[in-house]
Order: sequence, then C-alpha cells, then structure tokens
Amino acid sequence: GCPRRLWMPHPWRHSRPGWMWLWAAWAAGCPGHSMIGHIALAGALEVKWETLLVGKKELSDSSLTPGYEGWWWADLLLSSAGVQIHERTSVSHVSVQKGRVTGVETDRGHIKCQYFVNCAGQWAYELGHSGEEPVNIPLHACEHFYLLTHPLKEPLANNVPTVVDPDGRIYIRNWQGGILSGGFEKNPKPLFTEGRNQLEIHNLQEDWDHFEPLLSSLLRRMPNLEALQIMQLVNCPESFTPDMRCIMGESPTVRGYFVLAGMNSAGISYGGGAGKYLAEWMVNGYPSENVWPLDLKRFGTLQSSRTFLRHRVMEVMPLMCDLKVPRWDFQTGRQLRTSPLYDRLDAQGARWMEKHGFERVKYFVPPGKDLLDLDQSKTFYKPDWFDIVGSEVKCCKEAVCVIDMSSFTKFEISSTGDQALQSLQYLFSNDLDVPVGHVVHTGMLNENGGYENDCSIARLSKRSFFMISPTDQQVHCWAWLKNHLPEDSNLTIEDVTWKYTALNLIGPRAVDVLSELSYAPMTPEHFPSFFCKEMSVGYANGIRVMSITHTGEPGFMLYIPIEYALHVYNEVMNMGQKYGIRNAGYYALRSLRIEKFFAFWGQDLDAFTTPMECGREFQVKLEKGMEFVGQEALLEQKQNGVYKRFTMFILEDHDTDMDLWPWWGEPIFRNGRYVGKTTSSAYSYTLERHVCLGFVQHLDEKTGEELVVTTDFINQGEYEIDIAGQRFQAKAKLYPFSSLFAQRRRKDEVELSGYQRE
Amino acid sequence: MLAASCCDRRMCVCPGPRRIAIPVRSSRLPLLSDAMPAPTHLFPLIRNCEISRICSTMCYCHHKHLCCLSSHFAHGHFRYAPQKKFAALYRPKENFYQFVHARDYASTPQRFYLTPPQVNSILKANEYSFKVPEFDGKNVSSVLGFDSNQLPANAPIEDRRSAATCLQTRGMLLGVFDGHAGCACAQAVSERLFYYIAVSLLPHETLLEIENAVESGRALLPILQWHKHPNDYFSKEASKLYFNSLRTYWQELIDLNSGETTDVKEALINAFKRLDNDISLEAQVGDPNSFLNYLVLRVAFSGATACVAHVDGVDLHVANTGDSRAMLGVQEEDGSWSAVNLSYDHNAQNEREVERVKTEHPKSEEKSLVKQDRLLGLLMPFRAFGDVKFKWSIELQKRVVESGPDQLNDNEYTKFIPPNYHTPPYLTAEPEVIHHKLRPQDKFLVLATDGLWETMHRQDVARIVGEYLTGVHHQQPIAVGGYKVTLGQMHGLLTERRAKISSVFEDQNAATHLIRHAVGNNEFGTVDHERLSKMLSLPEELARMYRDDITIIVVQFNSHVIGMIS
Repeated sequence: GCPRRLWMPHPWRHSRPGWMWLWAAWAAGCPGHSMIGHIALAGALEVKWETLLVGKKELSDSSLTPGYEGWWWADLLLSSAGVQIHERTSVSHVSVQKGRVTGVETDRGHIKCQYFVNCAGQWAYELGHSGEEPVNIPLHACEHFYLLTHPLKEPLANNVPTVVDPDGRIYIRNWQGGILSGGFEKNPKPLFTEGRNQLEIHNLQEDWDHFEPLLSSLLRRMPNLEALQIMQLVNCPESFTPDMRCIMGESPTVRGYFVLAGMNSAGISYGGGAGKYLAEWMVNGYPSENVWPLDLKRFGTLQSSRTFLRHRVMEVMPLMCDLKVPRWDFQTGRQLRTSPLYDRLDAQGARWMEKHGFERVKYFVPPGKDLLDLDQSKTFYKPDWFDIVGSEVKCCKEAVCVIDMSSFTKFEISSTGDQALQSLQYLFSNDLDVPVGHVVHTGMLNENGGYENDCSIARLSKRSFFMISPTDQQVHCWAWLKNHLPEDSNLTIEDVTWKYTALNLIGPRAVDVLSELSYAPMTPEHFPSFFCKEMSVGYANGIRVMSITHTGEPGFMLYIPIEYALHVYNEVMNMGQKYGIRNAGYYALRSLRIEKFFAFWGQDLDAFTTPMECGREFQVKLEKGMEFVGQEALLEQKQNGVYKRFTMFILEDHDTDMDLWPWWGEPIFRNGRYVGKTTSSAYSYTLERHVCLGFVQHLDEKTGEELVVTTDFINQGEYEIDIAGQRFQAKAKLYPFSSLFAQRRRKDEVELSGYQRE
Repeated sequence: MLAASCCDRRMCVCPGPRRIAIPVRSSRLPLLSDAMPAPTHLFPLIRNCEISRICSTMCYCHHKHLCCLSSHFAHGHFRYAPQKKFAALYRPKENFYQFVHARDYASTPQRFYLTPPQVNSILKANEYSFKVPEFDGKNVSSVLGFDSNQLPANAPIEDRRSAATCLQTRGMLLGVFDGHAGCACAQAVSERLFYYIAVSLLPHETLLEIENAVESGRALLPILQWHKHPNDYFSKEASKLYFNSLRTYWQELIDLNSGETTDVKEALINAFKRLDNDISLEAQVGDPNSFLNYLVLRVAFSGATACVAHVDGVDLHVANTGDSRAMLGVQEEDGSWSAVNLSYDHNAQNEREVERVKTEHPKSEEKSLVKQDRLLGLLMPFRAFGDVKFKWSIELQKRVVESGPDQLNDNEYTKFIPPNYHTPPYLTAEPEVIHHKLRPQDKFLVLATDGLWETMHRQDVARIVGEYLTGVHHQQPIAVGGYKVTLGQMHGLLTERRAKISSVFEDQNAATHLIRHAVGNNEFGTVDHERLSKMLSLPEELARMYRDDITIIVVQFNSHVIGMIS
C-alpha cells in the first residue's frame, strides 16, 4: 500500500493510489447494494483490498484482530525462516547498555538481542517506560465497540467490500455471513490512563447506551438490517496517538529499540505497509519512503504526560471520521510550552497554533474585528483570516513587524579545540569555516544526500556554534547529532531552546528600530546580511542579533535570554511605534516565505530531497574538497542530473474569492500529464496570486520510468495545478521573482536601495 | 347571549372532564354556539401546516378523554343535549379535517410547532424553587427545599399553590388548591388557609402576644414567611376583611384556651373547617364595598379542593380535602423508587367516601346522592371549600343571590339549585389528615392537583422524580446475553433510554420535569417532543379538552437530618 495515506487520510481527495474512495454512483453496483438505504450516500465508500502481513488467511477469517489462526499461519511462515514465536511470555523490561539494546528480560528468562521492536499496542507506553532507559511512546487507549451479528438470511459473500460511512462515523464489513460494524463516536471513553491494564482488558463490559448513536447511523444507512439478530457487542480498546498518525521508528535515546504502535484503530489495514517500512528501517537504516510524519522522533518526552494523552486522544478519536480541514489545530493539550511573551501577545488578539507543544501565533485579530467560530471557520476556500494576514504582510513589506519565533530548536555546539568545527564540517553540507560572526544556511544530510535537517548555524567564536532548526527537529536533530558526533568529552552539545526567546523583526524599518535601541549602526556596511553579533538592546545586554528573517525580507532575528524577553519586546514595541510597528504571526511569515520560493523542512524538504533538487547547490561545499555526509550522492546527482526538481508555480486563472484554495498535495500536470505534487502553497499578497511549491518529475510517457529533470524540461511546459478536480493554469519558475527583492522604499531612503538580502 | 354573562362561561361550554357539569337548558345554546367557532379560530393557525398532525393529536388525546367524554355525555349531565347535537359539535372538525387535508397535505408541517426553546419557556414560565437556607454550613431542617410549577389549561388557570414557613412555630406548609366554577375560591383559600393553620398551631402565649400587639397597634409578629412565585398574587382589597376574620378566629382560640399542647392533626382540621366557615359567613353577611361584596360571593359560590402538607422535623402531616393528592417518594434498598399515598381522594372512586356521604343523609336520597360518579350528579370532589350551593339551604341560597349584586343574579350557575337537594349540607371542607413519620428512605413528597394524576400513575411519578432528584438513572446496563434480539429492537430500546436521560437535563426544576412527562409522555413513557409541542400549541379554547390545569409541588427531604433525628 501507499504509506502516505497512513498519516493523512484526505476524505476530499479521491485519487490516491492503492486507496479507493467509492462514490454513491459506484455503490449501486457493488455487492450488497440492496442494503444501502439512502440514495445520497453523503460520505464515501472505501474498499480495503489489503493483503495483511500475516497473510490472506487472516482476512478471510474476518476476525478483527489477528486471532489464533492468524498466529498459526504466521508461525508456519516464519518458522521455516528460523523464527521462534514465544506465546504467553511476558516482558518485564528491556536491557540497555551504553545506549544500545542488549536483551529482553522475560518471565521465562533472558533473551539476548540486538534489536527490539516494541509493538505492544496499547501496552507500548508502559513497556517503553519499564526499562532503565525509558522510551516514550505517546499513546493512550480508548474503548472501542463493534457489533457482531448472526448471518443474514442470505449470508454475505466474502468479497463484499468494507463500507465506511464517515458521516455516520461507522464502518461495516462482512463477518461470517453477518456483519461486523463499529465506529468512532464523538464521545470516546479513554481508559487505562493509570496503566496496568493487562488484566482488566478481559473484563470490559459492553455498553449499549454508548453504542446507540453508532447503531442509529448503521440502521439509517442500511435500514434492512433491522431484522438482523445481534450476536455480541465487543468492547475492544484501541490505542490512539496525539496527532492521529501511527508511531514507528527507532528510539532517539536507545539504539536498536524500535517501535511500531499507536495504529489509531487502523492496524489491520496499515499492518502490511507498516511492517514493510519498519523492516527496511531496521535492515537499511531508513525505510524506502519518507516516513517522517510517522517517526517516533516527532515526539519528545513532553508528550508523555498521561493527562495530556488522555485529553488529546479524546479529541483525536472523533476526528477519525471528521473532515480534516487545512490548518486544523488541536484544541486539547494546549498551552504546554509558551514564550514569556504569551500573555502580552494573547492580550493583543493573538490566535494560536501549536507545534511540538509550543504555542505560536497564527495572526493577530485587530480590536473590534470578529472572526468566525471555530466550527464555522473550517473551510477549503478563502479563510476568514485572509485580510488580517494581508495587512500583517503589508506591514512587513512597508514598515516593520515583530513575530515571536521562540519555538525554534536551538543548540549550542562547542569544543575546547577544533573538534566542533571538524565534526560539524563533516555533518553539514555547507562550509562552516567562516569568519566569526557569520551565519551559514546549511543542510544536515544523510548518506543519500537527503535533508535530515535544514538549519542556520552562527559561528559565535572559533570553537562554538549556535544552531537554529525547525521546531519539530528538537528530538530528531538531537538524536542525529548524538549518534554522529564523535564520543569526545571535549566536544559539548547543549539544547538551549528554552534559554532564548526569539523575536523576528521583519521589514525595511527594522534597521531603524534596532539602531535607535542599541545606539549602534545597523546599516549593511556595519551589519551585512547573514551576520550575527551580540549586542545590547534597550537595557539588556547579550542579545544575539542576526541579520536573517527566514523570509527573504530585510530585518533581524533577536535571540534574547528569556529574562530580558519582556523588556526587549516592550522596548521594541515602544520604539517601533513611530515606524508603524505591529505584531504579526506565522501565517504572514509563511506567505512571505513561499512567495520568495523558500523551502521549509518538514513541508517541502524531507530525507528524500537533496540540495541539488531544490536549487541549493550553492549551499553545498562540493568544490572545497572536504568530506561530508551525503557528498557522494550529491556528486553523482551533479554529474547525472536530478530526477525531481523543486519548482514554484504561480496560479494564473485562480479566483481567490470563489475557487477552492490550494493547500498542499495538489497534483501538478505538465502538458496534461501528471508530473508531481505540490508540497506547500500560500497566497502572495504582493503578486496577488496563489503560489504553490512542489516537485516536478519527468516520467517516461510509455514506461513510467523516472527520467532526469532538466531546466529546459521545467521551462518548456504548460502547467496546470489540479485543485479538487479543477485544473488551474500555472506559471512554473525555478528562481524567485527578482522584483520582489527590490525593496519598495520611500524616496528618503534611497541610500538603502543597493541593499539586497539574498 | 346568555353565556356571555356567565361568570366563567368556559365552565359551561367545555365538554371535558369538568368538576361541575351544569345541566341548564340554556347552556345548550352557548355550548354549541361557542364551540362552533373553534374551528374558525383554528383555521388560520392550521392553514400552513399539515392538518393531519393536529387531528392525530386530537385522536390521540381522545384515547385518554374519550371515556370521560362519553361517560359524561352518555350519563347525561348534558341530558338535555341529545347525542345528535354532540355529534354536530364534532362534525365540523371532521369535515374541516378532510377539507384542509386534501388541500394542503404536502405543505411544510414545521411552522405550527413550537420549538424546544419555546416549549421550555412555556413549561418554565411558572416554575419556582426554594432551597432552605443552610444554617452555619448545616441544614438543620428536614426539608432541603421544594420545586413547584403549574401549567394552565383553563384561562385563567383555576389551580393555586402556596408555600410558607411557619415563623412562630417550626415547620413548613405547602399546599395545592384546585378551583372549580372559577378561581375565586382557590385564590382565597391559597391566601388564607396557611394563616388559619399557623394560628391553630400557635401556643396560647403567642396568640395573646399577637392579639395584644394588634390591640395596641404595635407591630405584629410575622407568622408566615411566604415562598411565592411572582405570578402568585394576593388580593389587596380583601386583606382587611380576611384579617378581621382571622383575628376573630384567634380571639376565640384565646378564649377557648384549653391549656393543652396543640395537636397538629387537630389544628389542621380546625383550620380547614374554620376557613370554610368564614368563607360561608362572609358571603352571608356581605360587605358594604360592592367589589368586596361580589368577591366574597364569588369565593363562596365557587369551590376549591386543598391538599396541604405540614412538615416539622420527621413529622409529616398531610391534610386533604378533595381529589388532589399527596404522594411520598421512597427509595428502596436496591435504589428503585416506590410511591406511598399520603392522602385519599374524596371522590366517587373512594368507596369509604361514598359510604360517608350516604350515612350523612337519609336513606331515601341514597340513589340521588352519587350519580355518574358525581355528588348529586354534579360535583366530582366529595369535599371542597366554598361551593355553598352544596352546603346552604335552598332558602339561604335564594336569599343571598337575590340580595346580591346583579352580576350574581344574572349568573345561571348561581341561581341553579342542584337536583334532589333535600338535606344540606352535602359537602364539607373537613380534611382527612394522615400523619407520617419520615424515614431516611423517604426522599421526597409530591403534592399535585388531579391534572397530574389523571395522566400519570403514582409509581411513574415516584420513579421520574426520584431519578431526577438523584441524577442517577437506574437503567441497568443492557446485556444481550443469550437472548434473541434484533438490531431494530435494540435500537428502539436504546432510543427510549436516551430520551429518558436527555429530558432530565433540560429541567432545573423537578416539578417542571414532571409536567414535561405528564404532557409529553408517549406510549413508552418517555417524553416525545412532538407530542409535547402539540399539546402546548393547543389554542386556549381547546386546551381544556385535552388536559387539566396541573399544579405540582415537589418537596425534597434531607435524609441526613431525618436520619439523625429519628
């Protein structure tokens, strides 16, 4: 199966490979159609034709969980390969030495091993915490009910498809000629919050009153089932994760400790693909597809609170059947990590989203302006914040804005001698041997040249570096550095994320605000682009000021020790008043970034994207004769060309007000043929057009084989972007509009006109 | 038209289960001419909606009332109204039904219905709750508080309710009063009865103190603290008159000073009898003020039943006159609810009561005493306040009516003398008093007029209120086990259970909750919103045909305190 659907089911997209969404018209022709009561099948039907890991046998047995026969089958298959299955054996803990798995302690003795896979389902959390070195697997169980009936008068055939009715929140499938039907109710019942559930699970009670809404929607959809006799209502808890995606991969703290759990009640259909990728991961070091959205390392210990998990899964489980609108934010488990400025910003109308537990501002609602209620604001069209973000963007372009970007992951790497520089030169693709005070934008690549991380590194001194990465890199990047940096007591790496509050001063007037506050010249001659300097702002000293904004706009990032955060913010806002300063949020930042063709790790870039494929060859030290991770792969790409190319598209005939907006994942068509998908998109208030970023491939027309993508191939094509079935003409560009960089300045600032940032 | 001059013409026209049925010849005319316009009133209302729904309401309701209707008619308290006429009364509706049905069947049915918020605002309009204040963090009263509510069917409503705390003695008084032939008597009793009871309970010294205060013009000790809904009014004009009668009563009590401690039961009986006596006397004496003169006559010629509870610690006394009812809600050890009657209905269904009436009159009248389950073929309750037509001699009635104001004289009802009226009085206001020692398992007391008891069994009342008050719905979890259950059956069962729970959460008042059930219950015993909405949407002139005024007081006991005292 296609792994992508594992983490983002998109009910509004019906063109996913390996995943069939059947619409009402089709339903009329499917076996068992006589049971479908309503003509307008508002949702979609879904057919699962998956072959499971344990074999087809299990599917035809049609029991929901792998039953005894399933195991028997697996046993038969695996024993021929020398695999032993120990049943009725309980694991007390996993032994770890020097950060590696060495064995498993069971009630039948010790078992030595190199690799351990925790796929204990809803017990995975407890098992993960049972060892000396805890592995946090954030999942929580909820009661899940499904109904079994006696066979129909005319028993259902084995090939009857599984029907999913998202509106009714139910699924229905054949079970021994009768039906098996369960669902995801709006009011889930979380359980086992305090753990120790192995015994209780056998005594769970049926709860018919709780099942009533699901039964009602079953009978509404298939009224003829009314006469069907009940066999049993099964209460079978399922585990859910904080973001509705399953958890797999290696522990960031214990090597050889793998996890595959938290399937959010889709274990049977995902089992095959998940098993495949985990096996690849264990054998090859990484699976054959990007599985970052499922990676255990997207979570840290901050998601291990049972209270947090209990509350979050109560929100997650009903979402299984809900329409997932773009820019959806979870409402539970919020306000965990906040900037010291949180209350100040909140009082000024900030609306918040959350990333890795950190509250970040989306935009500021001006006083007197009301936005829609949460439920009403859900849309695939032009959202209600459109004008608000537009005015924030305008302010960034014409005056100056402040964005609190404290959530960024911040590491300090230092050494007594040259160790830091040497190690980092090997781990990072760009040349870090720059003069002190310079900031380098670089990738952290894997052996295949793919981005494990995309970051900015400031050289604070000869021997110390300050590294800024995306928010959700906190666990992953830390683990990567720990695993790749040499064991050397003279080389230290410290996570200083919590020590600094980051303020992004964006806009042509940022320079004025900062120079007035510091009595230091901030003009490009004194403070060129990509520069870092510790200076005083207001009364506060030791503020790390960097001349980058992550948007391509002029301005500065201020890394402020948290105790000065409020002071510096107040000073900046007071001083900025005469320059028209205002608060802005991440949505404005995003619009600015995307119109400048800035790729972002986690959205556009992943472990399968190389600098060559996204036009960042200039950020790679290929010519300098230095060895670094991924060098060979990149050299090969340089020689042979790339098979996909990061491209910017400007939608031509898209009506912002009336048409569905592109969000991400829209198919790209070149001369009428599918060539790839978008990875992110935003409305550019400057271009007054939608900008989509995405990768273009060159597929052979006959064989479908991937061919090299050349600049000519990109430039000589007619492009269309398909938004929910409607195609819009798009102009493809490999480089950003240079006109956007020419600052529109007032006449009295002509002296700054030569100043260009990137 | 004759009916127009009638003090309460609705009384004459309504074919519903009236307390008093008047077989006056002339009433035939208003009966028909008044009932006929009903469809025309209805017409604009129904025009835009599916008429069949309204008719189904009618049919539905007829289930309940048809028996009453037919019995009343057939047994002839409309004996001058031939069956043919009765049929004529109903036929227009049938025709009308067919006519509109054919015309407008497919139009949207929604508009006619009250929405749930509208229904709620109607149900909650008269609700009242009182919580006994806690003393120093502890509630030392055996009463936690009470909820009361009333839903009119008559316009104006003829039911009354009262609640008050006795300030000079301990204890709380609660009562429901169901008026007939107008609301004047029920209103007067609701204002006055508790004073009579309180005074009857007062020790000699207190009575003296009060009398001295009045004598010397000093401030009077407050006797009662009323707990009144804003809609519960007291007549200002008559207060002086009422006060004087009351004062005469306590002066007599002072004179009679027996020195014995007051027995609650006796006090209740005395108070009831004394008040009825005063009502009768006031009407005979009259008042120089013509308004008051007419008022006291209306009070005396109309009637009211009373069901009053006096709670003092673990001692609960219920004094009942008429067919309202008091019921104790008891929680059994298994958590289930059962009902204990604390009053006997005084009507034809009560054999002892029929027996009592018969022994009080010569054998020659035996046959005419109770006819068609009514006293003298007219009155449903066998005991009541007022109703001097059943108490005074014919001469007295004639004298008072003739010397009374014109309004009274013009009234067909007051002039009418009951048939076979030989040995008055036929009616008494003397209550039957039941004393009950409260136990910890006695959780609440329901006092309600017959409007509730006609529609609900006491066992259901006990369960609904009990579950409401405890917030626990003793719905055993369902298990299929080895039984053969289909999905459809299970679905029906579950929907029913859910409806039960959801209706509880809508109400903050136990009495409101009970009314919701009484009016909206479907055949499953769960509230059916559509039915509720239909019942409450009935136009004024039809409402009385499908339901009676309902007045309910639910008193919640403090089991903790009761457990400690007993």
